[in-house]
Amino acid sequence: MGGGHAAAHGTTRGHTVQEVFGAVSLGSLYLIFALGMSVVWGSVGILNFAHGAIFMFSAFLCSQLLQAFAAPFLLVALVGIIFGAVMSVLVQVLVFQQIVARSTSERSADIRILIGGIGAGIIPLAIAQHVTKNQPFGLQESSFRTTIWEVFGLRMSNVQVATIVVAVVVATASGLWLARSRGGLALRAIGVDPEVASMMGVDRSRLAIGTMAFAGGLAGLAGVLLTFQLGALTPHSGDALLVKAFACVILGGVGSTLGVVVGCFTLAAAETVVLTQTSGQWVEAVAFGLIFAILVIRPVGLFGRQEVRRV
Amino acid sequence: MNAFYDGHVVIIQATFVGILLALSIQVPLRLGVFSFAGAGFYGIGAYVGGNVVIRADLQAVPAIACGAVAAAAVGLVLGLVLQRLNGLYLAMATVAFDLMIGVVAVNGGEWTGGPTGLYGILTDLTLPIILVVVGVFLVAAELSERGRAHRRIEAVREDPELAASMGIRVGAYRVVGFVVSGLAGGAAGAMNVMTRTTIGPADVGFGLVILALTMIIVGGALSWKGAVAGAILFTWLPQVLTFVGEWQELVYGCVVLLAGIFLPRGLYGLWVDTRRRLAARRRPPALSEQAHQDVPQEMTS
Amino acid sequence: MNVQRTRGTRRAGVRTAAVAASAGFLLLVSACGSSSDSAGAETDGKLPATVTIPVTVPLTGAAGFAGTSAEKGYDLAVKEINDTDFLGGTKLALDKTDTKSTPQEAASSLSSAIADKATPAVLGSLLSAESVAQSPLAEKQKMPIVYIQAGSEGVLVGDYTYRLTAPQPSYYPIIDQFLKDKGAKRIGIIYGSWVPTIKQLGDESVPAAAKDVGAEIVEKVETQQTTQDFSAPISKVLAAKPDVVAVLQIGAANATAMKQLREAGYDGPVIGNSSAGAGSLKPAGADGAGMVWPVDFNAASDDAATAKFVDLYQGAYGEEPLPYAAEAYDATWFIARALKDAGTTDRAAVKDAMQALVKKPFSGALGSAQTFDGNDLRVPGVVVEWDGTAEKLLYAAK
Repeated sequence: MGGGHAAAHGTTRGHTVQEVFGAVSLGSLYLIFALGMSVVWGSVGILNFAHGAIFMFSAFLCSQLLQAFAAPFLLVALVGIIFGAVMSVLVQVLVFQQIVARSTSERSADIRILIGGIGAGIIPLAIAQHVTKNQPFGLQESSFRTTIWEVFGLRMSNVQVATIVVAVVVATASGLWLARSRGGLALRAIGVDPEVASMMGVDRSRLAIGTMAFAGGLAGLAGVLLTFQLGALTPHSGDALLVKAFACVILGGVGSTLGVVVGCFTLAAAETVVLTQTSGQWVEAVAFGLIFAILVIRPVGLFGRQEVRRV
Repeated sequence: MNAFYDGHVVIIQATFVGILLALSIQVPLRLGVFSFAGAGFYGIGAYVGGNVVIRADLQAVPAIACGAVAAAAVGLVLGLVLQRLNGLYLAMATVAFDLMIGVVAVNGGEWTGGPTGLYGILTDLTLPIILVVVGVFLVAAELSERGRAHRRIEAVREDPELAASMGIRVGAYRVVGFVVSGLAGGAAGAMNVMTRTTIGPADVGFGLVILALTMIIVGGALSWKGAVAGAILFTWLPQVLTFVGEWQELVYGCVVLLAGIFLPRGLYGLWVDTRRRLAARRRPPALSEQAHQDVPQEMTS
Repeated sequence: MNVQRTRGTRRAGVRTAAVAASAGFLLLVSACGSSSDSAGAETDGKLPATVTIPVTVPLTGAAGFAGTSAEKGYDLAVKEINDTDFLGGTKLALDKTDTKSTPQEAASSLSSAIADKATPAVLGSLLSAESVAQSPLAEKQKMPIVYIQAGSEGVLVGDYTYRLTAPQPSYYPIIDQFLKDKGAKRIGIIYGSWVPTIKQLGDESVPAAAKDVGAEIVEKVETQQTTQDFSAPISKVLAAKPDVVAVLQIGAANATAMKQLREAGYDGPVIGNSSAGAGSLKPAGADGAGMVWPVDFNAASDDAATAKFVDLYQGAYGEEPLPYAAEAYDATWFIARALKDAGTTDRAAVKDAMQALVKKPFSGALGSAQTFDGNDLRVPGVVVEWDGTAEKLLYAAK
């Protein structure tokens, strides 16, 4: 057992390429998690604090399901998407719609939606904590195995590649859909002026359910992908990711697909640089300092619209 | 009574600290400033308070003053720097500020005690001192909810442009909001560190933002009475829920959720409504009609 | 193991397992025969029919896992103490309060305990963050309190505070032998410095071990509580071409770091810390295999006192005990012995009896003939290895 275990890391340059790849893969994960949240927030105006819990609980339910039988990757991912979408729609129908129905003004509804989301997020968290006793859980019972590919000295796992591909596809598709399709137009309209949009026949509650399902499905998928990539999650894994996703969305500017893409990769790159170029202890300060600084310079984020409403 | 006090002294003290924490987030909110910096101010107050007790041997009152003033000074700077931000962008910038305070707490070396934090912070803090400090803030809050001050604050929140055209210096009000938030948050942090004798990075995190927000929204966002109601509820709820055993977190979540849905204006709003309804039953219909109109629109939100 | 759950611990922490060391048996023997029989005879007159000891541990929240495991140890000890009539006609009872992994609840439940004049001593928390909030209260109000785990500074602050778990850095040097066997020359460290004990291990214990065996620390990266993806720090450490990597993390981070370390192409030896125990590495599957760390307790130990405890525990619960349970069991016995020696529920007298106890060797689940350093337990420790599905004992301290 002498030296030479780090065979793959021959040159400094290969090393940098490896780190850039790591940052891209991390940013892709942030993107899958944050994209749906950004769409919901920018259009129907719901900032869902339960998003992190939905992400975690989808992965948790998958891990419970795998106790029954060893499902392959695609099936686990599909189940994760369904769990996420269903939970997200439930939160919308049982909580957010009820709040809106009992609100006298939009501002009142907005801030209580934050509280409703916080409350809704505690419930799956409490269940997962109860079952796992706060121990990490994983998807190791799946028949899927991580494989490492080595291309010109660059090591990548199949999960990382899948994450990047999913992120690119989903971001491109949703960006195009929002820009080109009728539904996308309706969503953008409602984000700019809900009253006029509803006069034009846009059905807000149907769109809200649709976008929440989309966001929840992506959260579930992110949960499964991250668990495969990291090996383990804990019931609290959603919390840290939620704060980071807020940061990514705000950084880019609410409602902008390009904005959230840039926000996610900026944060991932900043974190990677700090972790690899310094002793690492200030990583969180740098990430949040960056957000703070960008907002001071650009008060509506990098690509935000000035007139974005909400609170 | 005395036995009850002895057995619950920590919770009783925590309730008053909670009121100040809730106020520190509520004050800017009443001005329409969506700032969560109160959690960061609380951290600054706690660490400054802890340090002056440990290093300079200060007693409770001067230590609370140091914590409050230090946090208010940071609040002033923050208020000026963040002047152009609004809504959730401002919220995120202040949350980033809170999280940075947490990182400084972990990496602050001997000044913050690193990941372990500071401990053994013993002073002459007594319940009467806490009551006086909290009382001062509550009186100030009550005064700001009456007469001219009330109308001006209202104008700044509901229609800043109109307020500006009426000669109200909106920017200055907002900065003052940050400073008062700093005073309240800093005092809360300093008192907390002395009642608990310890402070660590975990005590100043994102969880604090969530807790304070929950307190004021469920309590009632626009009156100090709402903050008091929320602070009492969420400080004592975990204690009360002990009988639920392992599922108390779940019940806690449900309480927050149901309050969010069914109490549109918080506990304080519920109380106001109930009182009005009772009054209406007693009064002749014509009058009660009018009473209804009197209810200020701003109670919503 | 101790410490890890320290402040802040959102991801859980401690886990553990371990090994321990062990030692001897005698638990029962010494318990029943108790060296200090002097007071024993008179106890009947002075101790009330039932003595209730408050237990203030987290049964829910981040440290709930450790707390519920410890709970079994407390219960087991009380049952044994009462079954053997150790306190001569006096029954011991527990009054448990869930501190929910929050310092405020911990301090609050302790002040309730102090307010009850009949309480002679308290079983304190196992989380550092909770314990440092309890200690000043206990010391000021002169209430003897016995902790387990809670390894941070500020937990032991005077004659009234005791800890029945050796802090991990105190026995970490036992890893030297493993490093020597592997011929370690270049060590890289990836550590979650936001956890007090881990910070101490990464800043002091591992560098000290490296120095002992003539190796150098070639790279050291700190990670934070929100760090979930370890590929960047791993990449940085591997660039320094280490021949041993120290992965010092808590909870899920251990599994993730091991998985990503193997995926990055490193197949050499890995040293860790006791929070990797109790199945934390399971989610990493085969990638987790080969992590080696020192711990204070392992059920497989051949120490007679440990074996006795393990038998008793398995008889009662049908599973292997975790270190929390062993430590909790010892903490309860520690209080029982002090009560017997003191022969009264007077707090000052119980404190004096505890002061006398820590001057002598202590035998219990953690091993025979353990010693104290001040009010703090010391154990020799053992080294275990995770083989991908279970922990196995590598070697014990000589």
